[in-house]
Parts: sequence; structure tokens; C-alpha cells
Amino acid sequence: MSSSSFLYTRRRITNLVALSLSMVATLIGLIFLAWILWETLRQGIGALNLNLFTKITAYGEEGGLLNAMVGSLIIDFIGIAVATPIGVMAGTWLAEYANRTSLGQSIRFLNDILLSAPSIVLGLFVYTIVVLPTTTLTSGNTTFSGLAGGIALALIALPVIVRTTDEMLRLVPSTLREAALSLGIPQWKLTLQILVRAARSGIITGVLLALARISGETAPLLFTAFGNNYMTFNPMDKMSSLPQVIYQYANDPGEAMHAIAWAGAFVVTMFVLLLSLASRLVLSRNKVSHD
Amino acid sequence: MTEPAAAGIHPQSSAASAPLAPTKLQVRDLHFYYNGFHALKGINMDIPEKKVTAIIGPSGCGKSTLLRIFNRIYAIYPKLEAKGEIILDGENILDSSYSMNRLRSKVGMVFQKPVPFPMTIFENVAYGIRHHEKLSRADLDIRVEQALRSAALWDEVKDKLKQSALGLSGGQQQRLCIARGIALKPEVLLLDEPTSALDPIATGRIEQLVEELKNEYTIVIVTHNMQQAARCSDLTAFMYLGELIEFDRTEQIFTKPTKKQTEDYITGRFG
Repeated sequence: MSSSSFLYTRRRITNLVALSLSMVATLIGLIFLAWILWETLRQGIGALNLNLFTKITAYGEEGGLLNAMVGSLIIDFIGIAVATPIGVMAGTWLAEYANRTSLGQSIRFLNDILLSAPSIVLGLFVYTIVVLPTTTLTSGNTTFSGLAGGIALALIALPVIVRTTDEMLRLVPSTLREAALSLGIPQWKLTLQILVRAARSGIITGVLLALARISGETAPLLFTAFGNNYMTFNPMDKMSSLPQVIYQYANDPGEAMHAIAWAGAFVVTMFVLLLSLASRLVLSRNKVSHD
Repeated sequence: MTEPAAAGIHPQSSAASAPLAPTKLQVRDLHFYYNGFHALKGINMDIPEKKVTAIIGPSGCGKSTLLRIFNRIYAIYPKLEAKGEIILDGENILDSSYSMNRLRSKVGMVFQKPVPFPMTIFENVAYGIRHHEKLSRADLDIRVEQALRSAALWDEVKDKLKQSALGLSGGQQQRLCIARGIALKPEVLLLDEPTSALDPIATGRIEQLVEELKNEYTIVIVTHNMQQAARCSDLTAFMYLGELIEFDRTEQIFTKPTKKQTEDYITGRFG
């Protein structure tokens, strides 16, 4: 009796220690997250004003962020528009046609490398394969461009979309495949009309998360979209973006510039937060209909 | 005998059973390998037309494997190999020249867990029909209704055909899967433990349905549940370790099995 109660006490203590340690670890993570959000909110809200949304960047307190916001939207759109079809198709091929082949495994591995590639490297890569050739071809008329920025961001979004599409499709139970194939449905119809539909919300979530990821990227845009103090809608022009303006203004000695940088940071953070919420919503709505 | 024996693998058992019906599926010296593992060891059996044939046996005996060869669904996975012959209406379905599309329109299958497609109830049934036949909208409506009626589901879903099939209960989903299968007007219907994920009431409905469906289809059902085999089949095959031990009329198997292993299994001494 006494030895069993001793063992029980010991297990309870071990449990308590393990539980406390993991709670402390969670808390450390959460504190920094909350701190970051709080600072952004405090500094950002204080600096928010209508000028940000109506005026373009200019040195001094009168400047806004309109051209940077428009630029960000255009560059992010190009990135997602390029990465989504390629990523979804590649992920589908991996999950449905190359799942257990060695070629599929190798490509999955390479995709994971791309997923963790430093974004500045991707920026330099696009500088080399897009910016330099266009400069030569157009004799210097087109150098840096929003399009090049979009391509750099597409390279960042691509592995995220490939990975989520692949994983979401592999989560679809194999019995669904068997059921369709046993009706004589061919593989391509099964993939396009049943499996992609079953994994749809997961794939959309992947795309939204990829968008959230690229909308905060700065490094790949420095050598590609470069930045522009004027408003432009032309993707062949140099183009400004929120993260790049934040980077530039945060390095500026002027207090007013810091405030605008904080406001920009706040806008980007809110955008990412909304995207994350939207992806949550897409997933949870799907779960309800599955029950 | 003018007709092929319904149950004729062992001389002593075929003598005991007169032919029930013409043979629909003839299995001849069937061997199956999972990545080199010998899972089925020379199966011979004649499955009669428009009867319910149950396959029983302990887990891992090869009963599901056998069923999954009848429509060659195993072929979607690599490193699986079947040798031997399965004759359906005079043709060997294991022959690589036998069209998969044709085989699967003739041999339907319902799985252990209900797997409705992520679409509406109507589309679930119409989807397969559309792939095999070009029908007018009106004809398609009729075919879908017929299939749902045959699966005893029409009255429960007729007002919500446009709703997602994922909203149905498990038992309803399984009947929808049966409707989806019979909508193609197959000749053989394979049921792989169709009630193991269902509650007793839903199970009762499926069993009743099997009873009705055998007027039109040749049914092969794999089941873990011996009472189920006894209740709804005409013939029962007992398998053990990849071999067909005994195959006879169901009442014969459950009252006077000729093999010791069969008797041990049905009396619950192992398995």
C-alpha cells in the first residue's frame, strides 16, 4: 500500500513539474507575441491619421503611405497569382501522382529547402535572373520593377502552397479515392472534381497563409521592386511597398518618419491578422459541414 | 449436373449442395501477393448469380483482399499482384486487356466506412452515371430517383437532394453509397463490411436492403459478424490464413460444417 501511494505521489510531482515547465515555456512565447502586438498597436495607433491613406510618401510629417499600400497590393497580388496555380498543381502532382515515388520524395525535400531559403537570397536570385536581363534588354529603361518584386514573392509563396496542397490532399482518406475509382471514374476526374474539392478549404487556407507570409517580406523587394516615392500602377515601374517603406523610415533619423513607419507596421500587422482570421474561418466553416 | 455447381471446391461439400443458380463469378486458382507476401493461396470458388455470398473468417484471413480483386481496386496500389483467373460472363477480368472502365461499371463496391463525395446528395448518385452514360436531365433525374429508391433512401432525402451529402447520418451515407453503386446498374455488388461502422438500427436497414437487392444483383459481402452472414446470405465461404477452407450453403456452414476449422470458428473457439 505505502509503496503504491509513494509511487502515486512521485507521479503526481513529476506531472506537476512537467506541466509547470511547459506552461512557463508557453508563457514566454506568448509574452513576446503580446509585447510585439502591444508595441505595434501603441505606436501605430498613435501615428495613424487620414494622410497615411490619402497621400503618397514624402519626407516630413505631411507624408502618407498610399503609394506603398497600392504597391504592396499589386506586388502581393502578382506573387500570389503566379504562385497559386503552379503551387496547387505541383502539390496535386506530389500527393496524387508521385506520392510514394523517389522522384516525389526528392521534390518534396527540395521544396522544403526552398521553404526555408533565406528570403534575401531569393531577392538576389530574382535580381540576377529578372532585373539584370530586363535592364540589358531595355537598355536601362526598365530596371527594378513591381513585376520583379512579385516574382521574388512568388518564389517565397510557392513552397508554402505546394506544401499545404500536398498535405491537405494526403489527408483526404484513401477510401474516397477507392470509392470513386470503383465507380470507374478516371484518375484525372477524381483528382479535379472530388479530391481537390474535398481538400478545397485547406488549399485556400494555404494560399491565404502564403499571402500573409509574403505581405510582410522586405528583403526580397530591396533588389527587385526597389521602391518609388511616386504613385504608380505600372508593374514595369519601380514600385514602393509597405515593408520596404517601413525599413527605410525606421532607418531614418527623423522622429516623424519613425511614426509613419510604426503606422505602416500597424497596417501590415492588421492585414496579416485579418488574413489569419480569414483562413481560420475558411477551415472552421468546412469542419462544420463535414460533421 | 446441367448447371455449374454453386459450391464446388471440395468434393465432399459439393456433393452436399445442389446448384443454387448459374455461376456469375468463377474464381480459378487465385493467388495474391502483397509486396511478396503470399496472401491468397489458390482460391477456387463459384459465386452464383443473384444470390448473396458471404465471406467470413478471422482478421487477416484474406477475405477483404479477395473482394478487392473482384473489381481490381487493389491495382491502384503499387507492389500488389494477383495471379489466376476470375471469369465474369466468360471473360477473365484479371486479363490486362479487360477494360477497367467496363469492369467497374459491371462490378460495384461499397466500403466499410461510408464515403460520400463532397457534393450534393443528387450529385453523389448522378456523378457516376454521367461518367458512363450521356442522359438527358429528365432521364438522369429518373435514374437518380430509382437508385435512391432501391437503396431505401428516397423518402428520407427527396426534399433535400440539393444539400451536401456530408450532412446525412452514417447509416444514410452508407445507403447513399449503395445507391451510388447501383445507379450504374452493375451486375455484381461487392460489400466490404458495410455495417461495421453503423449502429444496430442502421445495420438492420442495410441487411434488409441486401435481401431486396439480391433479386437483381449478385452480391458478395465480407463480414466480421457471423450473425450477419447467417441472417442475410445464401452461401457462406469461410477463409483462414489465405485459404478457402469451406464454401457451402449458409445453413450448411452454420449447422453442419464439414471442416473442423470452420466449426471452431463459428462456435467461437478462435478468431
